[in-house]
Formats: sequence, C-alpha cells, structure tokens
Amino acid sequence: MADAASPDIAPLGDDALLVTLGSTITREIGRRARNVARCVREARIPGVTDVVSSYTTVGVYFGASHVPLTEAAVALRSVLASISDTDTESSALIEVPVVYDGADLSEVAQRTGLSIDDVIRVHSETTYRAYALGFQPGFAYLGELDAALALPRRATPRIRVPRGSVAIAGRQTAVYPFQTPGGWHLLGTTPVSVFDPERDQPALILPGDTVRFVVMQP
Amino acid sequence: MIHVIDAPPFATIQDLGRTGFRDSGVPVSGVADRDTALALNALLGNDDNAAMIEWAVAGGALRFDGDATIAFGGARCDVKLNDSPIDPATVIPVSTGDELRVARFVRGRFLNVAVRGGIDVPVVMRSRSTLLSAGIGGVEGRRLRNGDELCIGTEVRSDTTHFDASVDTLAQAPIRVTRGPQAELFTGAAWNTLLGTELRVSRTSDRTGYRIDGVELLHSTGDALPSEPGCVGAVQIPGGGEPIVIMHDGPTIGGYPRIAVICTADLSRFAQLAPGDAFRFELVRQPAAG
Repeated sequence: MADAASPDIAPLGDDALLVTLGSTITREIGRRARNVARCVREARIPGVTDVVSSYTTVGVYFGASHVPLTEAAVALRSVLASISDTDTESSALIEVPVVYDGADLSEVAQRTGLSIDDVIRVHSETTYRAYALGFQPGFAYLGELDAALALPRRATPRIRVPRGSVAIAGRQTAVYPFQTPGGWHLLGTTPVSVFDPERDQPALILPGDTVRFVVMQP
Repeated sequence: MIHVIDAPPFATIQDLGRTGFRDSGVPVSGVADRDTALALNALLGNDDNAAMIEWAVAGGALRFDGDATIAFGGARCDVKLNDSPIDPATVIPVSTGDELRVARFVRGRFLNVAVRGGIDVPVVMRSRSTLLSAGIGGVEGRRLRNGDELCIGTEVRSDTTHFDASVDTLAQAPIRVTRGPQAELFTGAAWNTLLGTELRVSRTSDRTGYRIDGVELLHSTGDALPSEPGCVGAVQIPGGGEPIVIMHDGPTIGGYPRIAVICTADLSRFAQLAPGDAFRFELVRQPAAG
C-alpha cells in the first residue's frame, strides 16, 4: 500500500510510470504529490518528456525515448529516495476577476438557501489551491469550495458552456478555458484568458498555485 | 503549395505530437497512426516529425501548385492522381495542376498524406499538431476546409529514402495490452470478458476516445477515484461498464478505473480500427517496473 514515505511506482502503459502517494484526497497528499513532481522535473531524468501531478499521484512520461521501463523505474526510484518532504509550498497567487452574472447563479442561491450576494461573497472570499489540470488545456481544478456552496454536478450537462465561465461542482471550482460541453454550475465569467498558447506559460494556473476570485463590475 | 479543393469531412494537420505540456492539461495529439507516419517520412527523406495531413472518414481532393513529392498510406482507399490510380507507400512526384482525389475508404480510419519537406503550418507550443478542443496548431486549430492553402516546407533530412515495408497498420491480429493501474479492482469475470470476447469499436469514437461496444465490465469500486494522470491507449471503465479507450486528443487526467493499457507497439493498429470493426485484446506481461 502506498504511503508518502514509500510511494508506489507502477507502470502506466509501457512508456510511463505512475507514482502513488496515497488513496484519499487530502491537502497533505496533494502537497506531497506536487513536491514529488517538482523534484522529478528538476532531476532531469534522461528521457522524461512530461511530469503530471494530480490529487494523489504523479505521472512520469518517457514518450518515445526508448528508455526501457525497468531502467526508468530505477532512475525514478533513486530520485524519489532523495526527496525531502517539505511543509511549505511556494506558489504564485493568481487573482481572477469575475463578473458574477452566470446562468446558474439564481439556481445555486435557491438550492443552497443563500442570497445571490452571499453566494458571490462565499465564492470570492476563499483562497483556493489548484489541485490538478486536465479535462481541457488550462482547466485547473481548484479547492476547496466552501461546503455552503457544495452541489452535485448538473444532472444534464450543458452542450455549450461559454469560454471563461467560472463554475462550481462538489467542493471544487474552476474556469472553463474554451467553449465546451460542461456540467458544472455557472456563477460568472472572467475576461482573463486561462489558456493562451502564445504565452511562455500557456496555462494561467498550474498545480499548487493559489487563486482568488475578485468581484468585477460588469 | 497544396490547395484543398474538396475537403474531406475530417482532416487535420498532425506531426508526432506536442510533448512537454501534459501538466497544463494539453494532450499530446499527433498522428494516430504513428507507425505509418514514420514510415512515410522515412520514405520521403523527411525528418521523423515532419507534419502531414491526417485524413479521415471519406473522400476529397487536393490540387498541387509547383513541384512536390508525396506519399500516402494507412487506411486503404481508392486514390487517384489525375484519374490514374496511384499506390500507397510509393514516392510520387507531382507538379502544378495535378489533382489527388480520394474516392472512398475501403478499410481503416486514417489516411496519412505526406509531402517531402513536410506541411509548413506555424509551430504552436513546439508542435504543428492540431488540437481541435483548444483551437491550436495545424491550420488555425481546425479541420481543413475548401480553399485552404497548405505551404510545403523545405527541410529534409536526407536524399536517401527508406521505407519499412513491414509496416501494416491494417493487419488483423490481437491488440496487446498490459495490466492497467486499477487492474486489481476488476473481477475475474471482467477479465475473461475483456480478453475472451470479440469486441467492436463503437460509432461513438473519435480522436478523444474510442468507445467499445458490446461488453460491460464490472469492478469493485463504488465511488469515482481521484483523477489520475492518464495515457493514450488506457482502457477506462466508467460506472456503466462500457469501456472507453483514451486516444490522442483525450483528457490528460481522469477518474475512471483503468483495467488495461494498449501497448504502444499496437496503438497504430488500434487507431486504424473504424466504427464497427471487430478486434480482440491479448494480455501481455510487463517486465516488473516497481
């Protein structure tokens, strides 16, 4: 069984390895996963093309490097053994301006028993941590959303969620980088581009970053 | 220059893919039939990563402007140059006014059309591959349309050409898989079904993922798992039990259990399976990596 002290390394297909830090989502495990990802990237293991951290796991990809997986695992295990865990996590603070005029704002207020003003206040008062990116380029899963706003995803996803939509589901919130089908509840929109391929760092928010939503007047 | 005079329903520009950005949620994309793409680029004396047209679903036509050298392969199609049938895996010189017309797909899903020098579209995030969901790469991040003009690059690797004639991504043989990260969550019955049944690629299949028809695989997990990094070829089993194989434009992380992963050596053959095509999985052992 994996634990933070001796992470489990398993194959992920035949050209990637999956490092597992734990089985449940906790802040500590998330932090450890991001720390492992950072250290693995910095170690510059030959043949590694990508390192992806998620809630409890880290994927290390060797692409078409022709490094045998057994050899890659030895190199990775050696790097993991040398990682010292840390309690702190330095990261960028990103402020995302939001016009809170989302299509689901009223419904969220009604279902949570809060006023619309309170929905906006609760959502924008929290400082969120980016847990992982996926679903779409630049789509960062942010947590933890206040329990007062926790709602399951919409039973029927929308066919078209507007680009830049700020949305919530469960205990998470996120910004949709592109127009896409989506099942989260829409609270508002941001004019900021959360994914721009022309930027040096195309994704605005990376795992570990802290995010605050700032109320913007329309 | 290549003019798209009759755009097929689905064609994009792809190279070998966009690595280094998975942690930003960006899939690798790239040619789905990588084996054929590499063989064609070697045949033309191109760099391995030269971009080409990945042409799917149905026929269409291109017209050439200037001298060029092309080669095509992958799906079996009726292909003509100015009304004369031409063969795959062959170096074909073309010049101004020549028209290449693809009439129909006989077998397979993707036809790779490569040109010496590669298709010269802008490099976006280190790759010319198209990712439709984000609108990046290729021609303006989209499918080819009538009227598109594709520039031909000038960089070639060598004047000697080499073709690996053993590449046949339409060959029918089992698709080999290794045990996936959540393999132990699946019952023996689920494994027997996965390996013992003739499976079919669903009509609901595209570059983000191929659904597999006709089987339901039970697993012992109730709740969704925390999302984990994924890989192309991962065989995911959502709650309904019907498998979805992650493909080249698919999401980079996911919360569905993965029972198996398709071996990279067989990915091109799997990618060439068209809707309705039958296949079987075969389990192979992986050297211990733990």
